[in-house]
Amino acid sequence: MNLRHIRLLVWKEFLQLRRDPLLLRLLFLMPIVQLVGFGYVVAVDVRNLPTAVVDLDRTAVSRRLEATFTASGYFAVVARPDNEAQLQPLLDAGGAKIALVIPEGTQDRLDRGEVAPVGIVVDGSDSQIASVGSGYAAQAIARFNADRMQALAGTVSAPTVDARTRVMFNPTLDPINTMIPGLIATILMISLMAIMSQAVVRERESGTLEQMFVTPIRPGEYLVGKVAPYALLATAQLSVVAVVGMLWFKVPFNGSLWVVVVGLGLFMLVSVGLGLLVSLVSRTRQQAQQALVFLMIPTMVLSGFIFPIESMPEWIQPLTYAVPLRYALVVLRGAFVKGSGFEPLAPQLWIMAGFAVVIFGAAVVATRRRITE
Amino acid sequence: MSSPATAPPAVRTSGLTRRFGAVLAVDGVDLTVERGAVFGLLGPDGAGKSTLLRLLATVLRPSAGEAQVFGHSTEREAQEITGRIGYMSQRFAMYPDLTVAENLDFFATVRGVPKTQRATRATALLEGMGLGEFRGRQARHLSGGMKQKLMLATTLMHEPDLLLLDEPTTGVDPVSRREFWRVLAGLHRAGTTVLVATPYMDEAERCTSIAFLDGGRIRQTGTPAEVAALVPGTLVEVVCPDPRAAVAALADLPEAGSPHVLGDVVRVLWRGPAADAEGALAAHLAAAGMPSAQVRAARVDMETAFAVLAEAGR
Amino acid sequence: MSPTLTRIGAVARKEFIHVRRDPRLLAVVLVMPIMQLLLFAYAISFDVRNLPTLVVDLDHTPDSTAYVRAYEASGLFEVTSRADSLAAVDGAFDRNEARVAVVVPAGFARSLARGEAAEVGILLDGSEPNSARIAQTYAAALNQLESRQIAVTWAATQGIDLTQSGSVEPRLRTWYNPERASSIFLVPGLMVVVIMIVTAQQTAVTLVREREQGTAEQLLVSPLRRVELMVGKLTPWVLMAFLDLVVIAVLGLFLFHIPLRGSVLALGIGAALFVASCLGIGLIVSAVAPSLDTANMAAFLVAFLPAFLLSGFAFALDQVPAVIEWISRVFPARYMVTISRGVFLKGAGLDQLWPEVAALAAYALVTLVLAARLNGRRA
Repeated sequence: MNLRHIRLLVWKEFLQLRRDPLLLRLLFLMPIVQLVGFGYVVAVDVRNLPTAVVDLDRTAVSRRLEATFTASGYFAVVARPDNEAQLQPLLDAGGAKIALVIPEGTQDRLDRGEVAPVGIVVDGSDSQIASVGSGYAAQAIARFNADRMQALAGTVSAPTVDARTRVMFNPTLDPINTMIPGLIATILMISLMAIMSQAVVRERESGTLEQMFVTPIRPGEYLVGKVAPYALLATAQLSVVAVVGMLWFKVPFNGSLWVVVVGLGLFMLVSVGLGLLVSLVSRTRQQAQQALVFLMIPTMVLSGFIFPIESMPEWIQPLTYAVPLRYALVVLRGAFVKGSGFEPLAPQLWIMAGFAVVIFGAAVVATRRRITE
Repeated sequence: MSSPATAPPAVRTSGLTRRFGAVLAVDGVDLTVERGAVFGLLGPDGAGKSTLLRLLATVLRPSAGEAQVFGHSTEREAQEITGRIGYMSQRFAMYPDLTVAENLDFFATVRGVPKTQRATRATALLEGMGLGEFRGRQARHLSGGMKQKLMLATTLMHEPDLLLLDEPTTGVDPVSRREFWRVLAGLHRAGTTVLVATPYMDEAERCTSIAFLDGGRIRQTGTPAEVAALVPGTLVEVVCPDPRAAVAALADLPEAGSPHVLGDVVRVLWRGPAADAEGALAAHLAAAGMPSAQVRAARVDMETAFAVLAEAGR
Repeated sequence: MSPTLTRIGAVARKEFIHVRRDPRLLAVVLVMPIMQLLLFAYAISFDVRNLPTLVVDLDHTPDSTAYVRAYEASGLFEVTSRADSLAAVDGAFDRNEARVAVVVPAGFARSLARGEAAEVGILLDGSEPNSARIAQTYAAALNQLESRQIAVTWAATQGIDLTQSGSVEPRLRTWYNPERASSIFLVPGLMVVVIMIVTAQQTAVTLVREREQGTAEQLLVSPLRRVELMVGKLTPWVLMAFLDLVVIAVLGLFLFHIPLRGSVLALGIGAALFVASCLGIGLIVSAVAPSLDTANMAAFLVAFLPAFLLSGFAFALDQVPAVIEWISRVFPARYMVTISRGVFLKGAGLDQLWPEVAALAAYALVTLVLAARLNGRRA
């Protein structure tokens, strides 16, 4: 392979990019926008849920119950309707997402040693808030019960189970720490696929592709020359994301840089291969764009980037094995969050290598054939 | 109020100027195109012909000066003009994924051709240009010549009074070119005014008036004959076995102006008295070792006129 | 028929031909929304269930077994493996074989018998924060329950009745979405995302394409007014957006059993205004984008991403930093999601939703006027 040819092609590609300043600016704007979007919107903690309290008991006990709720930090009381009927418009309008309804006679029942039912109303139209919110509510109530029992037991020491929960990896449970590594992989994939397919198709559209092959440049050199600048660009983009992620969002990096490099390298090959395949079936840039969108949405959804795979129905989960991004996510998250080395991540890396060989190989062979036809 | 005798000309511009950033594409052009003329705009690449046409088509606004089409300002009264003109751009400007018939129908409808007449006119135009059998073909699958014909047909559907054509026959085969000009001749007979920019000098011959545009300014204007007459000297052709040698030999004959090879003959612009041309040239060449050279008079064609006048202007 | 209508009709007819001749475009506009609907409704869930759990029971007593069974019995934890040493936990987490580990140390039952506090370790893999948080909460609650049970039983043997303290029992009522089916949550918002993509993106592209093809010039040299061009160009897309809307609604109602509790009229008005707003956005993008590539990317930034991230469709906006919340108000998708969810799930009508409808009306007006000004100006 002639290095001079390749250098020439790379230079040409950069020249073309430079002439399109808006495109360049957008290319660098995108990761920032995605960072902010995914960092602040998707990775959101559930805290200070707007809560409504309907206290029909108005006793010391009911007030203590309410205090237990607010002490947890998860609930912020925004309204105290006088009765349940007033709850409806409040939840309808979204003013409160969860409501605690303490019926009349709760203190009496508790003092008599009976079970006192208490209503937790949850706005189910937002299922994330609903499930987490109800969980916190159950926890608060359990804490209240335990406190009461402790008070009663007084000096008598009763056995209890002391559950020490420890979160290994990502102890703050900050979603951003898994979002950023995920975003790095996703950006790499999208950028490379989009730009690769567009670049190749653009040459075909403008006819310069044909011109290329009445020159001494060989198909292999052409491919490398085309891929290299965009690989560099993509690397620049994700470096921006990584740096911003680590400095601004304080995402920790616990693992081995080599794992990341190998994983991303393999993933790069896969993405480039996919981009080339897209360009093969597209005659115009518009078509390439459409094919890309078609591929992108299921990939984003099924890869586990935003929506956890384990929450998906049983029959869908096998489908996710066909999505290369899935493995890249495991590798990156493993490296960033868990500090995993090569050994535990070996299966994923091998699978990615397999994908790379198959997809990139097929793409190269097909492109070569098309070009030399 | 204008009586028929003083009806405004098809085109009148005064001081028409257009800038693109630092580039002065059209520089103070004063031009009048009479109704019914076939007006040729000649000039080298980058002379400003396309820009001038687009200014007249109301597609561009002038940076300075004014242009009037049929007495209406292109800037302020564009809507009075657009229904009466047809503009054919240099690049193919039809919908590639629409068929010939669909393109025709669309533009005709948009330009107000009544439904009852659309079909008949379309058929007439397509048959007349030999596109009849391609009505159902998508425009992107047409050859270069057919594309130009399609554009012309589209431009003619609404029977405009003024046609602005930007190099309409570039890339078209000679037979199609002839057909094209036949159509234009027919339009001319019907009274349509045609303003056509062309790089082909032989087409310039067919115009009723021409103008040379260079560097955004009009250099010469008049009928082809008038322009030809502007060329100083007599045009003479020399036929001999070795044209190159002849040109070299004539280099030191002062009255033999700009000798050059055209095809297999040598052309010379004789600066001296016309009657002496034949004799002097033949003698000079014979003395240089080319006794068999034949000299004959030639008509000043637009090609030569253009070349000579452009060079003189520099 | 008036000349204006004739011209608009010609442009609209032409646009339909373009779409018909481009099968991929049809696929994107018609097939993709359905595909997205199916994906989102079936695949996506925020529900946490069946977390693979590793149990390390170093005590091997009836008490420890009973304790562990409490976890098994819950729907949240699924015991997939058992091990005999703490070291196994590291490996299981590293290899992503388990997300939770319940470690019962030796001496668990003995501590309980002595009336002391017995320690249990619950280890969580924090690399999936959503599941981890829910697991943490539930484990704590479960533990409290179990703990209480143990205490009561023990106290009974001592002759103390600990149930005297009474206990509060939560009665959970989930409104609007009792089964907490994620699809119910997602589908009304999905309609909004799909419409935004179809209209804004496609309109952005369509006008730029006229410019690039050179036909825009030809259209200038005709009596066609810019407003007529825009209306004609947008007509097919409006129709297709509504088609998408209806298809998704029908599928949602009959396939996913999403309720429709509120005012269809409010939904219709909101949808019409929303479509108009999206079209306005697309037209503005097409007027300022110099090339097709830029138009595509700008449309992606301005239409797709905000619809996906900032509309509240999948990710709630309550907890987001104020700046981002303000930015989300700039895009129309958010108002339409509120309207859509309100009508489908909360039984809302125009009385409740009029602020959002008004916002969309204002948005549509502003964008369309701006688009009309920006488009078709002669150079």
